[in-house]
Amino acid sequence: MAGVGNRVLAGTDRALDLLRELPRLSLSNIRSNPKAFKRNKRGRGQHGGKKHGAGNKGSGQRQNFMRLGYETGNNPFYLRVPKEPYYKGHHIRREYPPISLMQLQTLIDTGRLDTSKPIDLTALCNTKLFQLSPFENQYGFQLTDEGLDNFKGRINIEVQYAPEQVIAAIEKNGGVITTAFYDAPSLIAMRDPMKFFASGTPIPKRQMPPENAVEYYTDPKNRGYLADPDLVALERFKLAQKYGYELPDLKKDPELLPMMLERKDPRQIFFGLNPGWLVNLKDKKIFEPEDEQLLEYYRS
Amino acid sequence: MAVSFSNFCCLRRLLISSTSCSRAYLSGFKSNLSLDKLYPTSRLDITTIPKAPESKDGKFSGYIPMDRIQVNYVRSGGPGGQNVNCVSTKTEVRFHLASADWIPEPIRVKLAERVKNQISKEGYFIVKSERTRSQQLNLADTLDKLRNLIHSVAQSLVVPEVSEETLERQRRLRERAARERLKEKRAHSMTKQGRQSPTLDS
Repeated sequence: MAGVGNRVLAGTDRALDLLRELPRLSLSNIRSNPKAFKRNKRGRGQHGGKKHGAGNKGSGQRQNFMRLGYETGNNPFYLRVPKEPYYKGHHIRREYPPISLMQLQTLIDTGRLDTSKPIDLTALCNTKLFQLSPFENQYGFQLTDEGLDNFKGRINIEVQYAPEQVIAAIEKNGGVITTAFYDAPSLIAMRDPMKFFASGTPIPKRQMPPENAVEYYTDPKNRGYLADPDLVALERFKLAQKYGYELPDLKKDPELLPMMLERKDPRQIFFGLNPGWLVNLKDKKIFEPEDEQLLEYYRS
Repeated sequence: MAVSFSNFCCLRRLLISSTSCSRAYLSGFKSNLSLDKLYPTSRLDITTIPKAPESKDGKFSGYIPMDRIQVNYVRSGGPGGQNVNCVSTKTEVRFHLASADWIPEPIRVKLAERVKNQISKEGYFIVKSERTRSQQLNLADTLDKLRNLIHSVAQSLVVPEVSEETLERQRRLRERAARERLKEKRAHSMTKQGRQSPTLDS
């Protein structure tokens, strides 16, 4: 081994170095050669499998001594019909009927929407042009971007969903947009306030959004009603840079500023009316609770 | 439930008339989940316009001042019937590249070199987009293109700091590659020579 002595030693040294670093040999880091043993393809029943100890034909094999649903080998009934999960969970999915920016502009131009007041779901339903049925899983309105280029209204609007370009279009014209969640009882009250007041029920408090919607409504990018307004201001600036317009200074119009910034509390349904209040339209009176427990409940 | 009466006519929406206040929505009803309780340290002001980030030290901040560029809308090409013939959806953004001091000097120089085929005779750099059917989305795409271009130019100017060990290692690898190549070459040469018939000298 004289001539190749150095190289062999180098190899051994390397091998020993490796061995020092490698983990200890155990059952978890070795494996047999491929095809050393055959894997049993039919796992069900394992060693009690194939005929499951029932023998061949006859009453022994065919009289349903096996698992429920087994049909002695042919494709069982419960496996014949495939799963088609296209509509899975459709009954739980929330729907948001669309309102395009073009429609919104038309409403503003024809005077059907008052831009001197904040526009919320009640204002949109009061135009009687849009129907909302909470019983059919509809949770409010979404704004679509049809008519994006020609939108010129300056509004304070509150909807349930709006994509980024729609938010940009509204803020570009000096408006304010918020996305807010309303639960089904609140929606029933909001879409027809007169009917609701006539029913004699106190105004309910709005519930918080469900778990899968909390992230959406706390995100300043979506102008969520639960998001931090300072972060919303930053996102407004970033969106102006993205869509290429100069962000209008809302403070330049001091007469319109209070209206533009007007917002509901997360538990409030109507502007100017608190949860717990009972509105009597006939006698033109409002009753509010005085009991401390009730007040605490409606405030919490 | 104990009741108290409030006259409906006297109930008004609580509007703040103070002109300096930007926190008008804190008036009226406040529950335990109102914004000032959710974010106690926040100023709760959506009207603040942050200061534009500056492009200094030769680094581009990403801010494009809209008053320094011109935006043109023209009709786009391709099929589309009446809509494509009448509606101006193609967006062009142009600015004079040499006088654009919102781009740091070294980046501006390299950009001028890279896009020299797209600069007009007067020195205006033009970025276009007719990707979508909407003017606004095309404008966003144009600005995106411009920003990405400036960023990629800035990246190409950045010289990465290489450590001495890396340089040393690269030198050793290069030399080893050269040695291997020469060894192969010599071996090949021997093979070729071996195929020749021997002469009386060797």
